[in-house]
Amino acid sequence: MLKIEDLHVEVDGKPILKGITLDIAAGEVHAVMGPNGSGKSTLAYVLAGREGYEVTKGSVTYKGQNLLEMAPEIRAAEGVFLGFQYPVAIPGVSNIYFLKAALNAIRKHRGQDPLDAIDFMKLSKEKAALVQLPDELTKRAVNDGFSGGEKKRNEIFQMAMLEPSLAVLDETDSGLDIDALKVVAEGVNGLRSPERAMLVITHYQRLLDYIVPDVVHVLIDGRIARTGDKNLAKQLEKEGYSEVRDAQAP
Amino acid sequence: MTDTASQTLLGSLPTAFETGPAWLRSLRARAADAVRAQGLPTKRTEAWRFTPVRSVVEAERPRAEGDAPSLASRLPDGVTVRSLREVLASEPGLLEGRLDLAGVPEHFAALNTALFSDGLWIDVPARTVVDQPMEIVHATGLRGVGYPRVLVTAGEGAELTLIETYSGQVAGQLTNSVVEVDIAGNAKVTHVRVHEDAGLHVGRVDVRQAADSRYRSTVVTLGGALLRFDVRCLLEGKGAECQLDGAYFADRNDHVDHHTLVEHRAPHCRSDQTYRGIAAGQATAVFDGIVIVHRDAQKTEAHQENRNLLLSDSATVHTKPHLEIDADDVVCSHGATVGALDEDQLFYLRTRGVPEDLANAMLTYAFVESIIDRVAHEPTRARLQEALLARIPHADEIREVT
Repeated sequence: MLKIEDLHVEVDGKPILKGITLDIAAGEVHAVMGPNGSGKSTLAYVLAGREGYEVTKGSVTYKGQNLLEMAPEIRAAEGVFLGFQYPVAIPGVSNIYFLKAALNAIRKHRGQDPLDAIDFMKLSKEKAALVQLPDELTKRAVNDGFSGGEKKRNEIFQMAMLEPSLAVLDETDSGLDIDALKVVAEGVNGLRSPERAMLVITHYQRLLDYIVPDVVHVLIDGRIARTGDKNLAKQLEKEGYSEVRDAQAP
Repeated sequence: MTDTASQTLLGSLPTAFETGPAWLRSLRARAADAVRAQGLPTKRTEAWRFTPVRSVVEAERPRAEGDAPSLASRLPDGVTVRSLREVLASEPGLLEGRLDLAGVPEHFAALNTALFSDGLWIDVPARTVVDQPMEIVHATGLRGVGYPRVLVTAGEGAELTLIETYSGQVAGQLTNSVVEVDIAGNAKVTHVRVHEDAGLHVGRVDVRQAADSRYRSTVVTLGGALLRFDVRCLLEGKGAECQLDGAYFADRNDHVDHHTLVEHRAPHCRSDQTYRGIAAGQATAVFDGIVIVHRDAQKTEAHQENRNLLLSDSATVHTKPHLEIDADDVVCSHGATVGALDEDQLFYLRTRGVPEDLANAMLTYAFVESIIDRVAHEPTRARLQEALLARIPHADEIREVT
């Protein structure tokens, strides 16, 4: 599904990612863990197509296509979803109606007819229930006045609505208490499927107790320092990132 | 050229006024004297620095007839609306001291005071609470200069919503309007003012507020060859509050120019200003806001914010919010921004699949709509939203989204 090869990325001329290689197959959940400043969010943004991130070397292939050449909305239409660490508030733009515009733009790209208002509302009720997002919040302006937990549940709600093939979740656990974390994780788990790949980015192992990954990568200073199974996350929790960092040093 | 036009205009002003009560003749003469003494503003007049006054001065003649605004809604119970001309002829004493709220008028407002022939007097007696908004529309298609004049008086504890619309003016025709709002203690006036393709327009609203009164103004300007609009609030009584909001959209060769002045003359008053605007095409947008806090106006709270979206390289925005504070126990803030659309918001919408041009249009609309949304009267709000949509691409999709 997603093949990242020797990816080098600079921001304002400063190298952030220094040779990432990753291969995620459909149905798999990969976790990327790492300390602050290791390049986790940069990886997420590059995959979603944010401006200001310059790829200096390497490639990203998604479903056999060059992902890096696509505009963000084309990536979305092709099935890439980014769950933001800090979802931005957009006063004046309705959460539910912008999502309808988004979904119908995606359907158009795929040669499908637009959903009518009734089918769309039915779908949105069903998906909002997955993450216990109150009806009233779906109708408000995008993330406007939402609490930290509500914003993250809204991200997963949007993901459920758009049904991506590849979901990149950037620190979905940050700022959540344990109850909110469980709700969000259940929402994510409900979306696991053999056709869908996920890249879960997190600083802490805690999230991975609830969203159990198939593969864990440790990102340090723009490189993948180690790759293992879910037990690697547990080991990190116990020993900290410095052990991995030291082991990586020549 | 301007000087010649200006001289001709000033030369045509009467030195003595023949009709009306003595106090009015004297007021008109003082106004005419003031204009003659000051001269009309030029590029060198600070408050008119960014306004292309030349086209206003050159359009200041001849004078139009039938320039009084008219009532566009059913007259709410308890409100009296009378023609100024009629009251000045039959009971002039009722208006004495009420047609110069702001003191000696200046520049174009002084011309209006000297030359207006008719207008409306809207009176809401003490303790009369009017739920239904009152709508007035200004004359269109006049030949020559119109001097519309409106006086609103709200007695103790009265409440009124006034919706005032200027639209579809003929190219080159000038409107020089003055609206005065006199708000007694505990009274509350909500004033929605709409300029839609306002043509050439110099307008002024003077508000005087007694203790614990409220004035809430929402100005919406959608296009205008040259619009210069000033709102001035004098907070004269303790505990008075005013909220001045504005939204403007300037495209093509529009020039829209909004000025505010709030004078805190009494303690414990509060003023809030939020103006938001968009300049596209080759348009120019100006915001100039002054808050003056007098020495005795302790415990004043005053906030002022102006945000602008610049949508093209050939559009221009001038913004100048400023404070003059002579009291020491006050909370004041002001700020201004001029920028492009928010990159984070744009990226967020695009990651969800919204095409770039639609995302741009959504955010552009939302930027100004947040002010229009403050208009409580639903039919007016809907009308303004539609008028804004008509100026933005992807109207049909956005209508659904917001």
